[in-house]
Amino acid sequence: MTRKLTVIPEQCSGCRICEIVCSIEHFGVINPKKSAIRVMITYPHPVLRMPIVCSQCKIPKCAQVCPVDALRRVNGVVQLDEQLCISCYKCVEACPFGAMYAHDGCDYPIKCDMCGGDPQCVKNCPKGALKLIPEAVLGESKRLNNVLSYTQMKEIEFYEMGEKKVIQYAEIGKEEL
Amino acid sequence: MRIKSGYFKKHLHVDLTHGTAERRDLSENFIEKYIGGRGFGAKMVWDNLKRHNFTIDPLGPENLLVIAPGPLTGVYLPSSGKCSFIAISPATGLYGDSSAGGGFGVELRQCGIDVLSIRGCAPALSVIFVDGVETKIIPMPELKGKTCLETEGLILDKLCTHAVHVAAIGVAGENLVKFACVNTDWSRNAGRTGIGAIMGSKNLKAIVVRGHEDLPVHDVKGQVVEADKAFKYLKEHKYFNLWQQEGLMNVIEYANEKGILPTHNFKDTVFTKHEQINGTKMLNHYKIGDSACFSCSMCCGNICLVKNGKYTGTVIEGPEYESCAMLGSNLGIDDFAAILSGCKLCDELGIDTISTGNIIGAVIEGYEQGVLTLDDLDGREISWGDEDSILELIQKIAMRQGIGDILADGSLRIIEKWPEMDKIILHVKGLEQSAYDSRAAMSMGLAYATSDIGAHHTRAWPVAKEMEEGQEWSDEELVDTVIYHQTLRPLFDMLGVCRLPWIELGLNEKRYENFYRYVTGKSVTLEELLMRSNDIYNLTRLINAHMGFSRKDDTLPYKVYSRPALTGPNAGKVLDRDKFEELLSLYYQKRGWDDNGLPTAETEKRFDD
Repeated sequence: MTRKLTVIPEQCSGCRICEIVCSIEHFGVINPKKSAIRVMITYPHPVLRMPIVCSQCKIPKCAQVCPVDALRRVNGVVQLDEQLCISCYKCVEACPFGAMYAHDGCDYPIKCDMCGGDPQCVKNCPKGALKLIPEAVLGESKRLNNVLSYTQMKEIEFYEMGEKKVIQYAEIGKEEL
Repeated sequence: MRIKSGYFKKHLHVDLTHGTAERRDLSENFIEKYIGGRGFGAKMVWDNLKRHNFTIDPLGPENLLVIAPGPLTGVYLPSSGKCSFIAISPATGLYGDSSAGGGFGVELRQCGIDVLSIRGCAPALSVIFVDGVETKIIPMPELKGKTCLETEGLILDKLCTHAVHVAAIGVAGENLVKFACVNTDWSRNAGRTGIGAIMGSKNLKAIVVRGHEDLPVHDVKGQVVEADKAFKYLKEHKYFNLWQQEGLMNVIEYANEKGILPTHNFKDTVFTKHEQINGTKMLNHYKIGDSACFSCSMCCGNICLVKNGKYTGTVIEGPEYESCAMLGSNLGIDDFAAILSGCKLCDELGIDTISTGNIIGAVIEGYEQGVLTLDDLDGREISWGDEDSILELIQKIAMRQGIGDILADGSLRIIEKWPEMDKIILHVKGLEQSAYDSRAAMSMGLAYATSDIGAHHTRAWPVAKEMEEGQEWSDEELVDTVIYHQTLRPLFDMLGVCRLPWIELGLNEKRYENFYRYVTGKSVTLEELLMRSNDIYNLTRLINAHMGFSRKDDTLPYKVYSRPALTGPNAGKVLDRDKFEELLSLYYQKRGWDDNGLPTAETEKRFDD
């Protein structure tokens, strides 16, 4: 089963722990600039904190532009073969998400390898903003949100054994039907 | 044992008058003895003072501004994003420092330097751009009059990059408002002691940094294991979720319940409408996101948006407890949206929310009591909760218009102009008191009076401890608690990390000796680190002593002795002045200072190297 690294930007606090643990995992140093994930922050309009992660595309632009075929998709992860790589950084420029990186101190482009299936960023995110989910359920939370947007949640207060309780139920907008 | 890592051993010195930037080496002795952050700053300020025979105009070109992260800044451990800004303060004329979170300090270190110092005055409004090993001083007169946020945005555009961190001042800094702050990473402020005015006096609108170096850590693997344990401890703490959700805003309820919440310029210490301005209110109606400093899992920052009413569209990172109390209950404002708007205005203009809230509170009470006339207020009435007038006054302070021109010079100038205000305004040594009332907690009073920068809680915050367990304290225990706080809390500022994991979630301070060991490769005990922090306290005291300050200045505001709070659990309580003086003597004795509060000549010799 292919698993995807996905982001819930609303949850991200911008602490950049993902960047730190990535650099430790791949380079053995603490340097957020040597990571394959970056938190972009915009403020105040729009106010956003969002980690940029590699989508391990099935038709990877990075691999398409690679002149020496150093990037290949193996078991759902686009992997960089350092033996072949000539460090031209065409892949860094080609990625539509900007999810590949360059650093003066590194010989090769920095590319997410999913930590061999157990990404450190996901494990260490204190806010649960990064998730590893089966590809087949991608978009499930969006779908749920979409469903909920058709309904208006209403609350009723009631008493049970003298204790006040609240129950929520969905009232479907009549106009929309 | 030598220090093996943890430092680049480089100091970047920028002279704005001559337009030069120079990288100097830091000696082994210096980094070991002063650790970093406020330690580096205090020593550099001290040396600079000695060169100028202890006569320095805080707003003159000779005042040295030191920006110093610490050896743990940016390292993988809880909340390692702190950076201190140190100089002789224009508000007090004494040693001053303030620290900011975010990622500015981390980026500064990634430029391969441990400390940045700035002196002189640029011929035109300029920006310092530290780009890795290069340093440029770029004149940008077009930034004049721009707000902090506009400045940061324009700099990003002009330098065509997003990958930088900016520390900027607003209009208030340019206008030398004595409580102007430095705004880093959009909304993380080094708020207190008027560091923004120092940048303004140097014609320095912003400092931009961009670096790529690895952070020097001796044993990364060991550090990761130790840090993971600390992160795990925090995550399992029963209040961890509350911190992620409300951050410091949860303190409003606590302070109100305990009767230490400043209300109506400290006339009262409980606010009847506290539910309108507390964390729950924020969570249910305004909060749209979290915000954290570098490597922090607690994310105490809140991002709020006003969705309706006259302040619609106001977006702000904040508020936290201090801002919300000083611009909220202290001014009688019960509309959370108005508080957000006030905080936003302060962020934009670049002034400290604590001092601003304190001074405006004093103005309202002064007018109420007839000390200030309508004429003094430029014909505009002001009263508790009067949002429009208050927001207008904030603007006038930053722009130095009308009465704002006097208020912008801080408490001391206000009292000089209207001597009766001395009984109304709360300050120590010219720094306005922060948002914890001390009338029911002697230890907090002692902490304010003996803090090296003035009435601020950053050095010691024993109020909660005294409320909870201090009823039975002996004098010795009380003084020891204050001194322990004043030694441990500044240690966090020296290491370049945040103190909240320790004070709020009880992360054991012993862990920091391990962090220090893994990062520097040198074993020390917590006691040794505390001794060095204690040395810095002596050093800042020496600086203040040489500026003419002594026991006579370690006082508390008039209200603390003479005007009890009206309602709440601490109604009727004031501090006993004789008792306070007695404790002060004991405090000096324990610190090894003479009865006039001055360190000995022998202590001074320790800082000669």
